[in-house]
Amino acid sequence: MLVSWDWLKQYLDLDISEAEVCDRLTLAGLNFDGSSTVDNDRCLDLEVTSNRPDWLGHIGIAREVGVLFDLDLKVPGADVSKISSGAACPMIVQIEDEDFCPRYIARSITGVTVGDSPAWMANRLRTIGIPTINNVVDATNYVLMEIGQPLHAFDMGKLKGDTIRVRKAVHDEKFLAIDHRDYQLTTDDYVIADGSGAVALAGVMGGKDTEVNELTTDLLIEAAQFAALPVRTTSRRLKLKSDSSYRFERGVDPEMIDWASRRCCELIVDTAGGAVCEGHVYAGSEPAARSSVTLRFSQIPRILGINVSSAEIHRILERLGNEITKQNDKSITVIPASWRRDLDREVDLVEEVARIHGYDQIPEHAGVSLSASHQSDLDRVRNKIRMGMLGMGFDETLTRSIVNDVWSKAFQGWSLAEPLTTSMPMVKGEDRLRVSLIPSLLGARRNNEKFSYTDIDLYEIAKVYLPKPKALPDERYMVGITTGRSFFELKGIIEALVGMLNPNVMMTAMPYTDPLFAEGQGAHLIVDGTTMGYIGVVCDKARKAFGLQQPATVAELDLGALMKLAILIPQHQDFSTHPAMNRDLNLIVDEDVSWSKLQDISYSAGGDLVEDVTFQEIFRDPKKDGPGKKRVLFTIKLQAYDRTLTGEEADKTIAQILAACDKQTGAKLLA
Amino acid sequence: MSLNDFIKQLDDLVEAASTRFEDAINQVDKEILEETRIEYLGAKSGKLKEVQKGLGTVSKEDKPVAGKRFNEVKNRLEELFQSAADAITGGSGKKGKVEALDVTLPGQRPRLGHIHPITQTIDELKDIMGRLGFSAVEGPEIEDDWHNFEALNIPLEHPARDPLDNFYLNVASTGTGGGNQLMRSQTSTVQIRVMENNKPPIRIVSLGRVYRPDEIDATHYAMFHQIEGLLVDTNVTMADLKYVLRLFASSYLGHDVEIRFRPSFFPFTEPSVEVDMRWQDTWLEFGGAGMVDPNVLKAVGYDPEEVTGFAFGLGVERLCMRRHGINDIRYLYDSNTKFLAQF
Repeated sequence: MLVSWDWLKQYLDLDISEAEVCDRLTLAGLNFDGSSTVDNDRCLDLEVTSNRPDWLGHIGIAREVGVLFDLDLKVPGADVSKISSGAACPMIVQIEDEDFCPRYIARSITGVTVGDSPAWMANRLRTIGIPTINNVVDATNYVLMEIGQPLHAFDMGKLKGDTIRVRKAVHDEKFLAIDHRDYQLTTDDYVIADGSGAVALAGVMGGKDTEVNELTTDLLIEAAQFAALPVRTTSRRLKLKSDSSYRFERGVDPEMIDWASRRCCELIVDTAGGAVCEGHVYAGSEPAARSSVTLRFSQIPRILGINVSSAEIHRILERLGNEITKQNDKSITVIPASWRRDLDREVDLVEEVARIHGYDQIPEHAGVSLSASHQSDLDRVRNKIRMGMLGMGFDETLTRSIVNDVWSKAFQGWSLAEPLTTSMPMVKGEDRLRVSLIPSLLGARRNNEKFSYTDIDLYEIAKVYLPKPKALPDERYMVGITTGRSFFELKGIIEALVGMLNPNVMMTAMPYTDPLFAEGQGAHLIVDGTTMGYIGVVCDKARKAFGLQQPATVAELDLGALMKLAILIPQHQDFSTHPAMNRDLNLIVDEDVSWSKLQDISYSAGGDLVEDVTFQEIFRDPKKDGPGKKRVLFTIKLQAYDRTLTGEEADKTIAQILAACDKQTGAKLLA
Repeated sequence: MSLNDFIKQLDDLVEAASTRFEDAINQVDKEILEETRIEYLGAKSGKLKEVQKGLGTVSKEDKPVAGKRFNEVKNRLEELFQSAADAITGGSGKKGKVEALDVTLPGQRPRLGHIHPITQTIDELKDIMGRLGFSAVEGPEIEDDWHNFEALNIPLEHPARDPLDNFYLNVASTGTGGGNQLMRSQTSTVQIRVMENNKPPIRIVSLGRVYRPDEIDATHYAMFHQIEGLLVDTNVTMADLKYVLRLFASSYLGHDVEIRFRPSFFPFTEPSVEVDMRWQDTWLEFGGAGMVDPNVLKAVGYDPEEVTGFAFGLGVERLCMRRHGINDIRYLYDSNTKFLAQF
């Protein structure tokens, strides 16, 4: 809300500096956002919260200043009896829907001379950035900015028929507004109509056809109340925001509408001459009586933590314009001011007392008791993962949760359901809730490749949203990882992460085919029979689709699965202090015998003495071994808990392992 | 002279000489080095020579032990001299024997990753609140009307519920009384969920991603993070709120800081305030706060006559950007490794 300092002073004997007024207003809820000099006046920018439409006019601001500095407020009388012609208003008003328009006041003025506004009015409007048009339009704007009640002046000569209707627009109804643009209306919109059609978009903007100009002599002045929601709907759909719509959206004072109407007529006659028809039209109902609100004095210390005297509470509430109806030593009862529709509960009055008494009166020291707090398992596991990824050279990134259609389907390992969509995109073309972090991370790779960066090692811990019928979606935290390094380097990173969370866990990998992965270079990672994640090398086609030049390997791990396996408080495991013995084995096996198979056999056949089975390398020599064969070199570490192993014991264990490998896979020891 | 006394003399000598040679190294002073050499190893009147005279007075049976020890000390002193000389002259004495390292060559740096500045900010805020007894909780990012609006005292006609200001989902209502689904526009939703499932006292911070449609530019993003605190108990007042927020702000800035309340408006608190903290003589916006609105307490089945509570909320991006001098919010979500590697 822009405020003219000169204008403000009209309502108060204001002898206080602008700076002090702005400081106090800021601490009373009207945040001072800056000021500027306009000609001989000062323009103050005060931020008004949506619950205080009464501050959207100079009188409302002046009232607040009056309360803060204990000054009397002088509101103009708006008496039109002396300038009335005695004639009746020639128009009838019909309201089709009183929920939308509870009341509509029409006055008419005859014999005006349209011209420029007087300097005092033009200057004040200019200070707050409102363009001056002519003395009639300026007067409606002036009253709007004085009391916050929107008004509209129609050229009476251009209105058809004798009835003004407040009605819903008909489907596809056309309306030419005073901004000279055509608007196509729907049945959600409300219009003011005369005998020939819409002459104003109710609460939003007047029409071109009935606009006041130099030739106008007779006026119809509209002062009405329109419901917030429809005005906002219309204004937003048509992208037509006005000072009027802004105020109707927040609510006008139903008991000041007539004052605004009279005030506007008074100013017009003052500046443009003419006479007001004494008979005015009031359509709709009288505002309902306001109900009283009681404030128990005990609530002040209970909520604010300080005591405020009952005399001070009385002073504050009364100054704010509330009518005190009852007071005893325990409570005070008021009828809230007509412009304060936000005051209807006890706690609302508590806030008023706090606001005016001053929040600076509340001490900064209080006795908040100690309380235990704990870090959640989610946080512990997430922090461990972040530390691990940090040590392994990965940068954490955060990417948007909502992606485009193509990305939303680029990896569907977690759900094949159609991704959820939002009613509006986050960024143009992006309206799908992601079901995997991988596509976003590939997008992140592209962002970095653009700058020719190398070593793009990124991870993100964020949610994916898996659709569930008739319920909120299954939101799961994922750890998405991408690197330019190889499959096995990334797999090793995952093994290290899992090992950090639980050194005893066995993670198995099964071949996994996905359109995103290069053929034969994807895997499904499983722990205890449940899916922990996926890993794969991105295929050429997918890289092209994501605009990537460099190789990319990706993985995505279910954080829930990692939490399940994590041991947050590791327990000491007693270990052998006797020397270990390493035996290297070089086996010739069929191509389809997996390493994990050989490893499993070695552990189970070797028994307790096998401490570790470590892969070394794979080598192929078809000339010597024949086709479809490979040599697997690995090391078996043997160790006993309670003694130094003898060579015979070691030989016996190795022999058992070799026999089992032979029996189960046909593996032969390389001679 | 007894063997013990003789050995003691030798030990003292080594200790004193070590100190002097170290001085020479520390001061990189060849003169001190030479003086020290003459003082201890001087052929005519060096201290070693002096001690050697004592060898003659040691009893005959102790002589082999004493002699052996004397030789060890002699070697040790010569070593000390040599290493001090090497240190001062840069090892030129050994030139040609060992390949010297060019110690100015760069080390082999392991690659270290980085934690996102938003994560770092959240961790710090959580950590501070944890010390103040507030446990961190999370909740769903996709919410229903009830948790995102109704229970928070935001009725249907409130502008905050405008379809253009929210990411509603294109799905049929859940049918469980929840109504429409949307990407949560605030983390207060988590507070409702916690209060619905727990009796007071409640002392939590809720945090996470929130979503509001916005044209993305240097200062706006349609996805951002919030952290919100909630304390509900018997006898909670605004003075408690002010105290906790001052402790919070002081912990965050690392020194005592003044805070102030400015009246504001939020549907879910009454009274509502903006919280400013004093920073280098200006007031900076810290966040929004207030006493939990009685309608919110009623919505979760609490009796506003029995309990009161306070709540506050902070925008993580704003704090993070100010703390690290980040001038464009888009950097936070661009995944540019040159940016990420700065934190």
